[in-house]
Amino acid sequence: MHKGKGMKFVGDSRISAEKKANMPKDYSEYPGRTEAFWPNFLLKEWLVGAVFLIGFLCVTIAHPSPLEGMADPTNASYIPLPDWYFLFLYELLKYKFASGPYILFGILVIPGLAFGALFLAPFLDKGPGRRPHQRPVAVGMMLLAVASVMWLTYESAEHVDWEARAEANKPVASVEVDKEDPGYKVFESNCMSCHGDSLQGGAAAPSLIGIDRSAEEIMKIAQEGTGSMPPGVFKGTDEELKQLAEFIVSVNEQAK
Amino acid sequence: MLQKLYDWIDDRIDITPLWRDIADHEVPEHVNPAHHFSAFVYCFGGLTFFVTVIQILSGMFLTMYYVPDIENAWKSVYYLQTEVAHGQIVRGMHHWGASVVIVMIFLHTLRVFFQGAYKKPRELNWMVGVLLFFVMLGLGFTGYLLPWDNKAYFATQVGLEIAEQVPFIGEQIKILLAGDAHIVGAQTLTRFFAIHVFFLPAALFGLMAVHFLLIRKQGISGPL
Amino acid sequence: MSEKKQQVSRRQFLNYTLTGVGGFMAAGMLVPMLRMAVDPVLQESAAGDLVNVGLAVEDITNEPQRVDWKIDQVDAWYESKVGKSAWVYKNDNDEIVALSPICKHLGCVVSWEGSEQFPDQFYCPCHGGRYHKDGQNIPGTPPTAPLDVYESKVENGMLYLGMAHPRGEA
Repeated sequence: MHKGKGMKFVGDSRISAEKKANMPKDYSEYPGRTEAFWPNFLLKEWLVGAVFLIGFLCVTIAHPSPLEGMADPTNASYIPLPDWYFLFLYELLKYKFASGPYILFGILVIPGLAFGALFLAPFLDKGPGRRPHQRPVAVGMMLLAVASVMWLTYESAEHVDWEARAEANKPVASVEVDKEDPGYKVFESNCMSCHGDSLQGGAAAPSLIGIDRSAEEIMKIAQEGTGSMPPGVFKGTDEELKQLAEFIVSVNEQAK
Repeated sequence: MLQKLYDWIDDRIDITPLWRDIADHEVPEHVNPAHHFSAFVYCFGGLTFFVTVIQILSGMFLTMYYVPDIENAWKSVYYLQTEVAHGQIVRGMHHWGASVVIVMIFLHTLRVFFQGAYKKPRELNWMVGVLLFFVMLGLGFTGYLLPWDNKAYFATQVGLEIAEQVPFIGEQIKILLAGDAHIVGAQTLTRFFAIHVFFLPAALFGLMAVHFLLIRKQGISGPL
Repeated sequence: MSEKKQQVSRRQFLNYTLTGVGGFMAAGMLVPMLRMAVDPVLQESAAGDLVNVGLAVEDITNEPQRVDWKIDQVDAWYESKVGKSAWVYKNDNDEIVALSPICKHLGCVVSWEGSEQFPDQFYCPCHGGRYHKDGQNIPGTPPTAPLDVYESKVENGMLYLGMAHPRGEA
């Protein structure tokens, strides 16, 4: 680079006023067939990226991200689970040597050693050889670590019924049941003992909120039953039956 | 016209060398999947970056609708997901992207490890990379709480209890994260939000800048 | 020479393809996000229902009187009661007129005969804007447009008001 007296600058800045031809770095000694990053190689990278993006968007559209009901600290029956990539740490704490009096092993010593070794890998594996068979200890440890992480994750995930979990924790749309509605009076005397006082369902019958049925179907089910519901539960006039069906439909429209 | 504008700027601040250095470097044969198909393993780093960009963008847009408040957080997410056009897709991108980025980092780490690419003179970049991995896990942990649904709440409670078990400073770590010694609530949510949206991304940007600078400086590791 | 020319065009071709693929990726990422961001702009503005303001028609006189009422406002996930007010009177043709009290100058609140100097006029305390009884702004005072008019209807002898619209538009 040109230095010293006689240099010309743009104004009082340190930008050189003399334009020199931009010399790309010399790669002539580089082994093999090289290729310019821009635009040749970048195009290939971006093609991979575009294909990846299409796949990613398809997954995103096909599987809406889950949202459970709003956090309820008083919900004592909830079994917590971390995100899947923390499951292996979570599962580790179930083992005897990593819980109870040895909890420090589970939360500090084992993960600390593993992640510490990962962090300091260049200093633990100092040999000049780069090929895996030239450094059996490092590669062996890594394979062991990967295998145990996968095993722990699998063990932890396998015991969970993910679909039932998602179903049980779906957010419940809040609905206000109009208890003055004439349909509610009919509901009270015919259905409430099983379906609950605000249609929420109970041990014997499912919730009537969030069902996708027409008034005619509801009238039919009330008289003839469905699934474990016996026929003839409804005892009332046709007029009342109509009021009941309209009431249930109106509650469900509200819940949408 | 554009050329003139470019020349005008270049005259003053000499930007040509900045991008020429990036654009003109040659990519060696052994990382080019066009020559050796097995070189696709070199894509994982780039894909990690790509998903990170998706995460940053979708996160920025999500904060247009999200409020970090225990009364409204869930409601705002529910509204975003059910009422706003494409809200479900954008939240989906952020949600699934969080998982995909972990997978990609994992694969990238394995590629670098099994090739021994972290050996001298690239020790520093390996350590920066492992720190990036930790930052991503931190982002995953803090982001998990934000929708304030049941799984978020209870998983965070467990996470905080684990932090509390750390000897000597466990209690303090827990209070620092949760904002309260006993309650996982309003202050926990705002803290996690701040960490997720400002502190960790700041660390992420800094580390990524160093990571890329070192790659440009040192070049990619040679073939085995 | 011809080979050199081909080189350039190949590079250009790659550059165009690169821009295209880059644009595709950017669009794939950004379209859903931008659509989400502009969603409020594309929402049809809901025509507000007319609300009973708790004023019987027989109580409406030729003298403007202020009525206050509340509406249920749904602001995305936040629902609240919001207060509104209007100046209501019967004009010479016995039609009910409900004027918005929001000054068309800078949005202060005007009041009927708000200044002793100007009887029979709406007066805005902020910059001395004045309006005639029918809501027409008085030339020479800051406001440049007449007061907005509420949609109104009468049902069962009660007054119902909706949204305020600029005069001439409603």
